[in-house]
Amino acid sequence: MKGLLVKDGFVFDPMNNVAGEKMDIAICNGKIVEKIDNCGVIDASGMTVMPGGVDLHSHIAGSKVNSGRLLRPEDHYKDVERKTPVTRSGVGYSIPSTFTTGYRYARMGWTTVMDPAMAPLKAKHTHEELNDTPILDKGSYPLLGSNWFVLEHLRAKEYKDAAAYVAWIMRATKGYAIKLVNPGGLEAWGFGRNVRDIDDPVPNFDITPREIIQGLCKVNQLLSMPHTIHVHTNNLGKPGNYTATLETMKSVENLANNGKPNIHLTHCQFSAFAGEDWRSFRSGSEEIAKYVNDHTHVTLDLGQIVFTNTTTMTADGPFQFILYQMTGNKWVNNDVEIETSSGIVPFQYKRKNYVHAIQWTIGLELALQIRDPWKVFITTDHPNAGPFTAYPRIVAWLMSRKARDEIMKKINKKARARALLPSIDREYTLDEIAIATRAGQAKILGLENKGHLGMGADADIAIYNINPEKKDLASNPKAIRRAFSNAAYTIKAGEIVVKDGEITKSVVGRTYWTNVKASPSLLEIEPELQEVFEEYYTVKFDNYIVPNHHLSAANPITVEGRV
Amino acid sequence: MTLILKLKKKLSAPVSAECISPDTFAGKQESEIAGLTLWEGNRKRQLSEIFEVEGISGSSPSETTIHIKGDLSKTRRIGAGMTEGRIVIQGNGGMHIGEEMKGGTILVEGNAGSWLGSAMKGGVIEVKRNAGDYIGGAHRGSTKGMRGGVIIVHGNAGSEAGSHMRKGLIKIFGDADQFAGIYMKDGTIVVHGNSRGRLGAFMTSGKIVVCGKAESVLPTFSIDKINRKTKIHGDEIAGPFYVFVGDLAEHGNGKLYLSQTENEHLKSVELFL
Amino acid sequence: MNVIRNVTCPICGTLCDDLEVTVKDNVIVDAANTCAISDAKFMNYSNPKHRNLTPLVRKNGELRETSLEEAIKKSAEILVDASYPILYGWSCTSCEAISAGVELAEEIGGVIDNTSTVCHGPSILSIQNVGIPTSTLGQIRHRADLIIYWASDPYSAHPRHMERYTAFSNGRFQKSEWAHYVARLRGILGKKRLSRASELVLMKEAELPVVSGGKLPPKFETDKRKLIVVDVRKTRSAELADFFIQVEPNKDFELIQALRLLVRDEEVETDQVAGVPVSLLEDVADTMIGCDFGVLFFGVGLTMSSGKLQNIDAAIALTRDLNYRTKFVIMPMRGHFNVAGANIVSTWQTGYPFAVDFSQGYPRYNPGETSAVDILSRDEADASLIVASDPVSNFPRRAVENLVKNPLIAIDPVVSPTTAMADVVLPSAFVGIEEGGTAYRMDRVPLPMKKLVDPPQNCLSDREILQRILHHVKRLRAQRGIA
Repeated sequence: MKGLLVKDGFVFDPMNNVAGEKMDIAICNGKIVEKIDNCGVIDASGMTVMPGGVDLHSHIAGSKVNSGRLLRPEDHYKDVERKTPVTRSGVGYSIPSTFTTGYRYARMGWTTVMDPAMAPLKAKHTHEELNDTPILDKGSYPLLGSNWFVLEHLRAKEYKDAAAYVAWIMRATKGYAIKLVNPGGLEAWGFGRNVRDIDDPVPNFDITPREIIQGLCKVNQLLSMPHTIHVHTNNLGKPGNYTATLETMKSVENLANNGKPNIHLTHCQFSAFAGEDWRSFRSGSEEIAKYVNDHTHVTLDLGQIVFTNTTTMTADGPFQFILYQMTGNKWVNNDVEIETSSGIVPFQYKRKNYVHAIQWTIGLELALQIRDPWKVFITTDHPNAGPFTAYPRIVAWLMSRKARDEIMKKINKKARARALLPSIDREYTLDEIAIATRAGQAKILGLENKGHLGMGADADIAIYNINPEKKDLASNPKAIRRAFSNAAYTIKAGEIVVKDGEITKSVVGRTYWTNVKASPSLLEIEPELQEVFEEYYTVKFDNYIVPNHHLSAANPITVEGRV
Repeated sequence: MTLILKLKKKLSAPVSAECISPDTFAGKQESEIAGLTLWEGNRKRQLSEIFEVEGISGSSPSETTIHIKGDLSKTRRIGAGMTEGRIVIQGNGGMHIGEEMKGGTILVEGNAGSWLGSAMKGGVIEVKRNAGDYIGGAHRGSTKGMRGGVIIVHGNAGSEAGSHMRKGLIKIFGDADQFAGIYMKDGTIVVHGNSRGRLGAFMTSGKIVVCGKAESVLPTFSIDKINRKTKIHGDEIAGPFYVFVGDLAEHGNGKLYLSQTENEHLKSVELFL
Repeated sequence: MNVIRNVTCPICGTLCDDLEVTVKDNVIVDAANTCAISDAKFMNYSNPKHRNLTPLVRKNGELRETSLEEAIKKSAEILVDASYPILYGWSCTSCEAISAGVELAEEIGGVIDNTSTVCHGPSILSIQNVGIPTSTLGQIRHRADLIIYWASDPYSAHPRHMERYTAFSNGRFQKSEWAHYVARLRGILGKKRLSRASELVLMKEAELPVVSGGKLPPKFETDKRKLIVVDVRKTRSAELADFFIQVEPNKDFELIQALRLLVRDEEVETDQVAGVPVSLLEDVADTMIGCDFGVLFFGVGLTMSSGKLQNIDAAIALTRDLNYRTKFVIMPMRGHFNVAGANIVSTWQTGYPFAVDFSQGYPRYNPGETSAVDILSRDEADASLIVASDPVSNFPRRAVENLVKNPLIAIDPVVSPTTAMADVVLPSAFVGIEEGGTAYRMDRVPLPMKKLVDPPQNCLSDREILQRILHHVKRLRAQRGIA
């Protein structure tokens, strides 16, 4: 029996309605327990104790991420991690190597991270990288919004067949949730085209993005998936796209069950652009926030911009081509048969650039205008809007108007004059931060043992050098940034992995995947599927499937589907 | 004030010597300098394990001159990032001499390795004999080559001299291998000898002058005119020169000046004038 | 008798995964869906004449049999003593072994480099310069109506590439031109036979592809799938093509740049480029712009001829430019079956795809400086470990001289000039035959390699050998008080 007691910290556990109370947290065998004796003690007095951070959208592993690493030696060479007795060496900045990714998240107190885009054909690759990402618990979402099987079933309105296929895909690829990127648009990109809006039919497939979104939303419900559908909207990154975003949210409004969330709009900043073109470009955050405030079926994450040199990478091939045309930077495109596309372009967000400055305000405006912190989560869509190592900065911006004003002074003048952000006074509390960075994300992911410190929860804990009684955080954003950059302690599954911002121990993290149990047995679709499969793919059916033992620590989440 | 480093032994594994710079040495005692660490292969060494250290350094980088004696072709990054002062390599130098250098001067009395003055921003590097590939080049994957300063090579230069160059001057008194001025964005390259051709591939702006023979001109360059002479940083070079514009595959507006008298094989382009 | 299906072939980057192998009493007796190269491998892999079967250590100048334990210990000593060791090879083994190799390189502060350094290294450097628009092979099978092989001869080096993924394959939007090509192949073979016999030429010349010059054949006005081969000589693949363009040796760069101009609707001011008339190039450019989905495959003929990575920079830029007009992708024809995997594993663990230098405790990368051939040519390394590769046959002479004069460890299933020159030889199992694991196809699709039979006694997998060496290295370093 391994025990540990975290003593006298100010605990923020929003899921259990604990907001800064001084209390002890007892740990036994990797779980939170009621009490523990005869064990190691961490004196957390004067410190803030939270559940380990959860990130539901961060490109940390797989083919596309690795292509980004390969593309950019110039991104790595000045940000290196030396080998230590407990850690492997690696490189940073915007696309860290796998070991470094695990260590850097852990240093900030994050312990669960989801990679949001996995081409099913390359699922093995994603899992091999996740295996090499230490400390973190993780998972990955297979890309399904332009998948031929999905499009064909949904066009024929065969929702049950689509559901059976999706359940099979989760099992075959060890995937966690349904991901849609520019639904239908990526199939069009196979011939260098795109879809214009959510009602523009996909060439050669006679189905609209709206039908794909609604169809997969229904499938998600049929399968009782732990997470909602996870959507990167059509027209992302284009001025005026907030209307498509509103349409996307509305399209599934009537499918919601008891007001429960049924769609997650990811990196919403990139989908909240108003204006006709880049000249008249402005923020569409107000309209989006209003809709989200008035409805319960939507959650979103920010994709908050930070001003830095980073690497954009999405499955949205046509969008990445536009970014290439705009910047002239090096461009990677990689289309994957039957399933998806992807693109990569290095990108520099500049304070003095009007569009980038407005983008910076959009993210924060969304976070500050949406009243319920359980609906809006902190991400940078790592590395698209900036590397995940910027989270402490974003936390500081949300908690401190002063921190925002400091940046505001330095951004493009026109953007400063037009932005809504300066009119917003709201400052997040530590409790709200705990929701937006862990509790809310764990809840929408359906990870029952994450994001809280109640009995039976996984003992993933972050302890920060913040004394909420002593320090007025809003007037001291540097202290926030410092504390969140280097956790005093990070505990993963009951083991101390970080002390004072340094890795003290490297442990293996688990990989979650969704195992749908449904009747009739899902295996029944295999013979029929296999026949079409071998016509479609250039690999054999058997060789496509990721066996359970391919994951170094597989953790299936079993759900009961209604197929 | 002059500090003398004498190589103690024949080197085999590469020695990472970025600490050899007036900026690091200035204001340090002989013993402190002897104790500086560098890497020989995968072994950490003190400077004095590899060099005999003698003399005094200045109190500031600008007053510090470093003389290094011996065959330094295995060293890397001597004078990297230096801002002031002077380094004299009395022998052959290694790779990345004066990498990201901002000011001061480096003189190499023998040959210099590849990446001479890579990504440099200011200062002067002079090489008495030959230099390797990628003079004034960029880091792998980067588009930031030389952004200022002067590099003078009295012998021949390897391939891709001035790749990704953005500003500054590279003078080569001998011959230049293929692809001089590749990806050049601005700045000037002068080759007094001959060129192995493929000059200015992918260049968007800047100027390349070849006083000798250029083996060939890429099909993506177009003849613009013939000039009697040209000026480089105030110095006049007598022509006449064929002036080509390119690289048109990049919508480029770079200029190639190729000696008319040395390049009779290009005579046919005069038809397009 | 046991038939194993869906076997992935451990030969080339085409990584066909539809082989059927018959095993009887731990011996492969038959293999179906193979090409000539893989047939030869499956039928000969176990020939003891070619195999390393016992660990060897050089004593008094001679290789002597020894125990595995002894050979591993000796290897560890060599590596710990070295101040700039090289770990080279990696393209004919599993990703699991490569991963163990990276960890070993990090532990000993060595340089780990894979064979891409001598084949498609320039392609990778090009990607780092300009990026790459590419796709998986299935995308090409379903959609491509224009297929170009440039300085690559798939017929000889990637025998099933055209059948599985390009000209002969059937796709959703593109039907195979199979019958057409087979008729032509028969024509070519028939012609050769006949001309050898009596110099009677019965085939009509017009049916065979034109060597550069003249015009594109009428097929190019149809929307049928078209195959173009560009090379310095008329290869077997070129004979199959609808059109063959012969480029002057070492002039590919000029030809590609000229095409780029034409694709941008600009003019080329000469009559011919690299031996090809500009009027023909204009037609080729029109064909490229006019296709629905084009693909350009390129081989080592482009990466290793004059211009090297600049040839690839230009070829990628051409493909990129074409995407303003239509859909176009480009792909290097990777050679060894897991050379892509070597790049991929190295990249996710270190940030860099090859030529990674750990000597200062973290990954550094600068091909030309940190690449194996260059290090050896400059005589900087003082020990080497080679896995499943034969640099003694492939490297330039000076590099080989410096490689063999220092301690050399070879892990290899087969006897080669490298194992003959080595100081320690560790016999290993063939990945994809005697050992499983993951490999990556040339389009970076991961595929499982299967274990079909047990390896000979004493032959461990590369991965296990490397892990054992690593274990010894750690112990030695601890004994000597090295961090």
